[in-house]
Amino acid sequence: MTVLGEFALWISLPVALWGMFLGFAGGRTQRGDLVLSAERSIYAVFLLHLVASIGVMAAFLGDKFEYWYVASYSNREMELFYKITGLWAGQRGSLLFWVLLLGFLSSVAVFTNRNKNREFMPYVAGVLQTIITFFIVVLLFAQVNPFERLDFIPANGQGLNPQLQNYWMTIHPPTLYLGFTAFTIPFAFAISALLSGRLDSRWIQLTRRWILTSWLFLSIGIVFGMRWAYEELGWGGYWFWDPVENASLLPWLTATAFLHSIQIQEKRGMLKVWNMSLVLVTFLLTIFATFLTRAGLIESVHSFAQNLQIAYIFLGFMGVLLALCTVLIIYRLPQLQSENQIESFVSRESAFLFNNLLLVGAAFAVMWGTMFPLISEGVTGQQISVGPPFFERVNFPIGLALLTLVGIGPVIAWRRATKKNLQRNFATPVVVGLVVAAALWIMGARHGLALVTWGISAFVLTVIATEFWKGTKARARIEGEGFALAFFHLVSRNRRRWGGYTVHVGFVIMVMGFAGAAYNVDTRHHVFPGDMVEVQSPLGHTYQLTYEGLSVSLGQGQRNLLWQIIATVSVNYDGRDVGILNTEKRRYVTSDQDMTEVGIRSTPMEDLYLILSAVDDTRGALGADSGAQGIDLQVLIKPLVGWIWFGTFMLVIGTVVALWPSADRRRSAAQTEADEAPSPLSAPAGSAG
Amino acid sequence: MKHGRFMVGLVGVAAVITYLVWTGVSSTMVYYLTPVELMERIEEDPSFRDLGVKVSGQVVKGTYHRVEGQLLHRFDIHDLEDESVTFTVEWRDALPDTFTEDVEVVLEGRLNEAGTFEATTLLTKCGSRFEAAPEDLAR
Repeated sequence: MTVLGEFALWISLPVALWGMFLGFAGGRTQRGDLVLSAERSIYAVFLLHLVASIGVMAAFLGDKFEYWYVASYSNREMELFYKITGLWAGQRGSLLFWVLLLGFLSSVAVFTNRNKNREFMPYVAGVLQTIITFFIVVLLFAQVNPFERLDFIPANGQGLNPQLQNYWMTIHPPTLYLGFTAFTIPFAFAISALLSGRLDSRWIQLTRRWILTSWLFLSIGIVFGMRWAYEELGWGGYWFWDPVENASLLPWLTATAFLHSIQIQEKRGMLKVWNMSLVLVTFLLTIFATFLTRAGLIESVHSFAQNLQIAYIFLGFMGVLLALCTVLIIYRLPQLQSENQIESFVSRESAFLFNNLLLVGAAFAVMWGTMFPLISEGVTGQQISVGPPFFERVNFPIGLALLTLVGIGPVIAWRRATKKNLQRNFATPVVVGLVVAAALWIMGARHGLALVTWGISAFVLTVIATEFWKGTKARARIEGEGFALAFFHLVSRNRRRWGGYTVHVGFVIMVMGFAGAAYNVDTRHHVFPGDMVEVQSPLGHTYQLTYEGLSVSLGQGQRNLLWQIIATVSVNYDGRDVGILNTEKRRYVTSDQDMTEVGIRSTPMEDLYLILSAVDDTRGALGADSGAQGIDLQVLIKPLVGWIWFGTFMLVIGTVVALWPSADRRRSAAQTEADEAPSPLSAPAGSAG
Repeated sequence: MKHGRFMVGLVGVAAVITYLVWTGVSSTMVYYLTPVELMERIEEDPSFRDLGVKVSGQVVKGTYHRVEGQLLHRFDIHDLEDESVTFTVEWRDALPDTFTEDVEVVLEGRLNEAGTFEATTLLTKCGSRFEAAPEDLAR
C-alpha cells in the first residue's frame, strides 16, 4: 500500500503538469476538449494524492519504521488515533496533507461549476494545477518526501512529541489548512478573471462562499491553536505572538479586510484594484504561513528542524507569483477603474475603507515585528528582536479602532450619512457604552485599556441589538407574526446581513474576553500536604485551595506513558466545596522531559488554573516516600477566558448562517443577474480616480 | 473637496500606524547576542549592562539546581562556540517542560554587576522540539 502511495505521488506530477498546461492552453484557444481534460486532471490528482495519503497512513498503522517520517513521529506503543493523525503530525506528511486538501477543494470547485461559469474554468483549472504542481515538486525534490526510506530498519520509532498528543492539536492543523487551501479557490477565480478579462464583480459572487468558508476555518483553526496552548503549554496563556501564530493571523487579517471590501465592489463598483491586490496578498500569506510553520526560518515554539532549501524554494515561488500577478493587474488596470467615488467622509464606504486600512495596517505591523530579526540582521548584521510588548503596543490601539468600526460600519448610511442618521443610530449606544464604562469604574475596575475596551464593546453590542430589535419589531408588525417567528424570518430572509451581525457579536465577546487578561492573577506557593492557600479573584470570589498530596501511577510504557505524578488539590469556592482539581507531571518513554498537565476549573466568568510547577523530590515521590511531597504550586485566575471560546462559537454560528444555501436557489440566481445590470446608483464608469 | 478630506483621513491613519510601529520597535527592541558578544559589549561600554538583552547559549551539564521553596532556578550557560565564556543564570519562574540540561536556551534579561544573568523570559531552543533528528534513530 505504501509503495503504491509513493508511486501515486510520482504519477501525480506529470498529471498536474499536464492539467496546468491544458488549462491555460484551453483558456487561450477556447477549446472545450482541452478544458474538460484539464478539469478531469484535477480529479485525477486528488485521487492520486488520496492514494498517497492512505499510503502514509498504512505505513503508520503498519509500524513501517524503515520510512524516515514514520520512524520520527510514531512508535509501536502509540495509540491508534495518533497513528492515523500522524499524516499531519510533521512537516513532510503535512505538506502532502496540504496538497490533498487543495486537491479535494479544487475538485469540489470544478465539480460545482461543471455546467456553469464556463468562461472562468479553463484558467481556474490552470491556476489550481500550478499551485498543486508546486507542492508536488516540493514534496518530491526538496528533501521532504514522506516516503523517504532510511538505509536501515529501526527496531522502534521515536514516537510523537507528547505535547502534540492532545485533542486540540490533532484538529488544529487540519482546520487551519482547510482555511489556507480554501483561499486558493478565490485566488484562482481572481486570476482567471484577470486573464480572461471578465473583470466585473462576477468572480467575487462566485467565490463568496469559498471566501467565507476559508475565513471560517482560518478563524476556528487559530482558536483551536489558542485552546491547545492554553491547555497544554502550561503557562496559562493562549497567545504568545510567536512567529507561527503570527503567520496564521496574517492571512486572517487580510482575508477579513477582503470580506468587507468586496461588499463595496459589489454594491458600488469601487476598489477593484484593491480587491485584486487583497486576494493576491491573502493567498501569498497562506503560502507564507505554510512555509513559515514548516521551514523553521524564524525561531519559534513551533520550529521544526531548519531546512533552508525549502525556504528558498518557497520564497522563490512566492516571488514569481507576486511578480506575475502584479504584471497582470497592471495590464488590466484600464478595466479595473472604479465606477463610483466616495461621496462623503461619513458614510459606510468610508467606514469599510478605514476597516480595511486598519486590518492591513495590523497585518503589516505583525509582519514587520515577525520578520524584524531577519530584517535587522540583513541591514545591520545584528539580530534585534521585538517581543510581545511590541505587538501589544501596536495592535491594541488598532484593535480598539476596529472594534469601534464594528459598531459604526453596519448601520451608517451608504454614500452619505446625515446628521439625523447618525443621531438616530448612535445616540443611545454611545450613552450605553459610557454608562457601562462608568459602572465598571464605580465597581472598582481601574485598568484603563480594559475599561475602554468594555465600554466600546457595550456600544457595539447595543448598536447590533438595536438592529435586531428594530428588524424583528418591524416584521412582526407588518406581517402580523409573533416575535420569535418574525426574528426567524428576518434572519432567514437576509442571512448574509444577520449572519454577519452575529459574527460581529462573537468577535466583540472574544475581545471582551481578551481584555479580561488585564485582571489575571498569578500567585506561587510552596506547599506541603494539608497546606491551604487562599486566593482572591478580581471578581471578588475567594478560593481556598487545600493541597491533599501526591499520588503516583506508573504507566510502565503503556500508551507511551512512563509515570505520572498527580497533585490533588481540593477547591473551596466562596465557602463551598466544589470538588478536586488535579495537576500532573508526566514522563513519556519517548521523551526525556517532564510534561506538565494543568488543572483548569472553568466558570463563565473566570477560570481557576493550577500548575504543578515542580515537585521537591521527584525520585522520592516515585519511590513512594511520603516525606517527599512538597511542591511548587502556581495558582492563576483568568477572568473571562471562557468568553473567548463562547465568542468563537457565536462567530461560527454567524458564519454558518451567512453561508447557509438559500432555500430558493432560482430566486437568488435571478437576483445575481439583476445585480449585474447597472444599478441606478452607478455613475458612468471611469469617472473616478 | 470631499475626496481631499478623505485622503487626509486615510493618510492620517497610515501615519498613526507607522508611528506606532516605529515607536513600538524602538521602545521594545532587544539585542540578540551570544554570550561572547555580550561580554565584549559590556567591556566596551559598562552601561550596556542596564540594557535588556536577549542571549542564547548552551546549558552547562551538571550546573542546574533548584533553590527549594523560593521558586528560583540557577544554572550556567556557555557560548555555543567558545565554551570558556560562561555565566550563571537566575530564573524566578516555573521552567518550561522542554528545559533539560541538554538544551540551548534563549534568555531575555540583564547581566547584573555580580555577573549573574537575571532572566525575565526563558525559551528553550532545539531543532528536535517537535521533530526528531534522523541520526538519533540509529541504535
